[in-house]
Amino acid sequence: MSFLPGLTEEAQVPDIYIDVNEVHTQILPMGTLWKIKVPSESKMSIKILTGIAEIFGTELANNIEYNFQNWNFTVYAVEEVYLEWKGTDPHPAVEGEDIIPNDSAKNIYNLHFALEKMRNSTFDGPKVMIIGNKRAGKTALCRTLCSYTIKFKSYQPMFINLNPQESIFSPPGCLSATPISDILDVQLPIWGQSMTSGATALHSKQPLLKLFGLEMIPENRELYMATVKMLAEDVSERLQRDALIQRSGCIINTPPLSQLDDTLKELVEIIHDFKVNLVIMIADESNDDDMAQFERVSQVIKPFVGDFLLRLPRLTGVIESDDTYERSQQRNAIREYFYGNSHTALSPFSVSIDYEDLVLWEPMNLLDPGSNEVSNTSIDKLELRQVQITPSVIQHALICITFADKHAKANDVSKSSILGFALVTEVNEKRRKVRILIPVPGNFPNCATLLTSYRYLE
Amino acid sequence: MDTETERLVKDFTSVLDELTFNSKPIITTLTKLAEENISCAQYFVDALETRINKCVPTQKLYAFYALDSICKNAGSPYTIYFSRNLFALYKKTYLLVDNTTRSKLISLFKTWMTPSEATGSPLFETSSLGKIETFLIKASALHQKNYQSMLPTPTVPLLLADIDKLTILTKQRLVKAPTDQKLNIKLQVLGQLKQELQKGKLSQAALRQVQLQLKEVFSQDQQLIQQQYEYEQKTQQRQQYQQQQQQQHHQQKRLDGSDSLGTNESQKSSSSTPIPLFDNMTSLGSNVSSLFANTTGVLSSQKLDVMEKANKESKVQNLYQSLNNLGLLYKPQNESIVALYDKIKPNESDISAKDHEIQLPPVEMLQNIVLDCKAYFANVNINISNIPSLSFSQENLTNPNNVVLNNLIHLLYRAKSNKCNTCGKRFGNSNDEKRLLSEHLDWHFRINKRIKGSSQVISNSNTGATAMQKNIQSRNWYLQDSQWISFNDDDITSTKNIVNDNDGRNRNRRDDKWKNMGDNSSKIGHNPSSSGTDGTLNDGTINEDILREAKVSVPETNVDMTFKCPICKDTVGAVYDEDSGEWVWKNTVYINGKYFHAICYYDSIKNNTNGDYSSALQNFRKLIK
Repeated sequence: MSFLPGLTEEAQVPDIYIDVNEVHTQILPMGTLWKIKVPSESKMSIKILTGIAEIFGTELANNIEYNFQNWNFTVYAVEEVYLEWKGTDPHPAVEGEDIIPNDSAKNIYNLHFALEKMRNSTFDGPKVMIIGNKRAGKTALCRTLCSYTIKFKSYQPMFINLNPQESIFSPPGCLSATPISDILDVQLPIWGQSMTSGATALHSKQPLLKLFGLEMIPENRELYMATVKMLAEDVSERLQRDALIQRSGCIINTPPLSQLDDTLKELVEIIHDFKVNLVIMIADESNDDDMAQFERVSQVIKPFVGDFLLRLPRLTGVIESDDTYERSQQRNAIREYFYGNSHTALSPFSVSIDYEDLVLWEPMNLLDPGSNEVSNTSIDKLELRQVQITPSVIQHALICITFADKHAKANDVSKSSILGFALVTEVNEKRRKVRILIPVPGNFPNCATLLTSYRYLE
Repeated sequence: MDTETERLVKDFTSVLDELTFNSKPIITTLTKLAEENISCAQYFVDALETRINKCVPTQKLYAFYALDSICKNAGSPYTIYFSRNLFALYKKTYLLVDNTTRSKLISLFKTWMTPSEATGSPLFETSSLGKIETFLIKASALHQKNYQSMLPTPTVPLLLADIDKLTILTKQRLVKAPTDQKLNIKLQVLGQLKQELQKGKLSQAALRQVQLQLKEVFSQDQQLIQQQYEYEQKTQQRQQYQQQQQQQHHQQKRLDGSDSLGTNESQKSSSSTPIPLFDNMTSLGSNVSSLFANTTGVLSSQKLDVMEKANKESKVQNLYQSLNNLGLLYKPQNESIVALYDKIKPNESDISAKDHEIQLPPVEMLQNIVLDCKAYFANVNINISNIPSLSFSQENLTNPNNVVLNNLIHLLYRAKSNKCNTCGKRFGNSNDEKRLLSEHLDWHFRINKRIKGSSQVISNSNTGATAMQKNIQSRNWYLQDSQWISFNDDDITSTKNIVNDNDGRNRNRRDDKWKNMGDNSSKIGHNPSSSGTDGTLNDGTINEDILREAKVSVPETNVDMTFKCPICKDTVGAVYDEDSGEWVWKNTVYINGKYFHAICYYDSIKNNTNGDYSSALQNFRKLIK
């Protein structure tokens, strides 16, 4: 137990000389990346003194202190940067490769300006889909492209996230579409805030969410594709009405290729649904596995996009991390949804409702060892099942509130829009009461709800 | 806690709060209180511990003195209670205070270690004292390491110089106290050490050891000399005082007619000021932040600096004199460049000279201007649509593209040279862009004022009631799909009006309202007040939106922030209104001392078919405006 602070005094004495307020300085030569890891228990702040620095394409203001917590990210020095930083961790940079030349930058610039040229020449903007393996830098590439797009002209690209494990402007478990109408928050792994009722330092975003609810796509591929389709329909309607977004185009983030079916039929469907006209696959030329995969992908999707399947080397800034980090990011996003962050504190509301007032549905999980429908092909895999409320099932669960009425049929619930999320904080079996945290003060909405696979213990 | 105890504890705490300086009476009062009310021991201990934890670092020591006094005078059970948290308290305090206080804390701790005469054991439980001891040893070891690393690398000549200086110092003292046997021995030892060093066979480690020991001796000597110096000054003062007395006495005598002359000559004291010690030592003394105040000596570094400076100046002057006497100095002729420069050079004290100096802007700013210009010219003749290398192909994507790297890249950065100081967003130089920038800055200002304003209310509030006024915000419900499809993000990013005030959000507040959102979706996004010029429709009735917007601020006397509408019996809760910065009841009117739903009241007067309908309506209209 010696790793717990306070139990061994020996471990403590050297620690006391780490001055959290000690200001360190750092020079980043032009064109380098500074790779930073800020674990969940530590904090770090960065202040740019001179030069131009950006984090995933979003430029940092000079002489403003930015705070970071529980996030791995890279600072890119567009020009030579002189900065100050403070932190609980004396060595926040990734060991051995803390400052490296940013070899990806030129590729990303090439890609961005190629997209820019396309926007310049047509009213129907590019619809780019980014594909690749886990930890290739898909989300970072998307974020950078979105940020660049809004920088020179007042474009509003639509960012579409099809990876339910990624939480961007939303809790995990969702597919989302968000018009990027203003600068992203460089301090937030979730890119920025969705709308709140009060004043926020930056403009919030208004995402559209569709709930997948399960963690892994293989748990119910049919459901995943149905969710993608519902999102695509709404997005295409929005594009028709909104000329600016239409012209700015869409940037589509996808789940890792390993999550998709071997036949890659999902990719084809996504290309079709979102009218994708450019696919960027992140694959290293030097990596044989990557190249083999690239060959396979191009065979499948060449008929649909033709020559517009291009390959980009793996991003140099990628920071190796594990599933624990991914989990902590998901937890972060859930906390952020209810409580906000250190800059914008939100006040959620706790209500107590009877078992009877909570109508809870859940999607089918085909990989669940308890389910025996896997082999049964005749059943409708999209069908929702009503959940019998027991403490073990719903304790600490993240549940999704739909716009559908409490007494609506399963079919209507699954097609309904999402009102918001709620968190089960306490289940009292004796009194048959559930204590639930909702984001907005008031009564618990009189609506049907959906159970997600995500749990959050405060 | 009964009332008596409560009173006592309150007394104790209030006395404790006055302990903002080292005051014996206060500490005595506290000790007495503690001695006389052993039954409240637990509470007193809690109070004192809180005090040590909460008060500003400079006052922590006094609270420790109070703790010390109570334990030494009242003893058990205080010693037992304090033992529990003593280590944590001590460590925390030690790390927060300055070096002087640290040394005082250490002396305090030393007194705890001495066994008391009555019991034969130390003041507190040995376990907690032991912890403090290990902590102090570690802290000092760490400090010692820092201290050692700051010493110059010992070399034989350096050490020899040190020894020489020390020898002179000791000899001086020997003159004053010729009988001191110790000083003689010291001189001998120093001589031997010098010989050893001159043989030059000592290892680096040994040299380091010698250096450290010498430093120690220096600081001891310094201390001694300082004491002596102070003592002599005191005697000198006393003598002067006596002389003055005598003078007065004499004058008195003279007035009395006596003619005897007093010795007016002021006796010069023979005391010599201590010579400045070694150069490197003094600079060290001022640099080393000492955990133990006495390791670097008692002479304040400031005093040493002054003496050292005077000493150096006299040395230089002596050197100049002797060189001049020997004719070794070259003096520039009257027409030499040096002499001319001296003539032309403006006098430093001449203020008008400063007017001619041109203050250049900082280098960083000049650099920015140059780079901005470069960025601008890099893109003057570039049209992104005409660049063939920007079409989609594998080569174009992965190969370095000079147009992109040399020209286009600036479009993302310096081509828009006005960077927002708050968020880093860039704006260009055209008139339109400048207008956008100023609107953007205005928006930041308003938002920051609102964010700050709300936090000021929090800090000002010391009661729960006013804390309610802070700008509480929460996540909004998401829009329904149909609303999202027709939503326009310009409503969010508009810098002119703050979207968070629109009524789409307020509609979210009540669950019966958002259920209507699907039907009203077309209303989202445009302001309800724009739907009619004054909200009054042609038939003399009032637009329902206006009624919903009618608001009454919650009176301060209202405790639970709700009221019950007498018409529909519905309970109405308060919402925070950002425009007025108050908690308000929406859709509410205040009539004859009662609160009503505006809509309920309006309906009731409308349905009331008596003749005074129109006048009632008029009154009502005034109320909701």
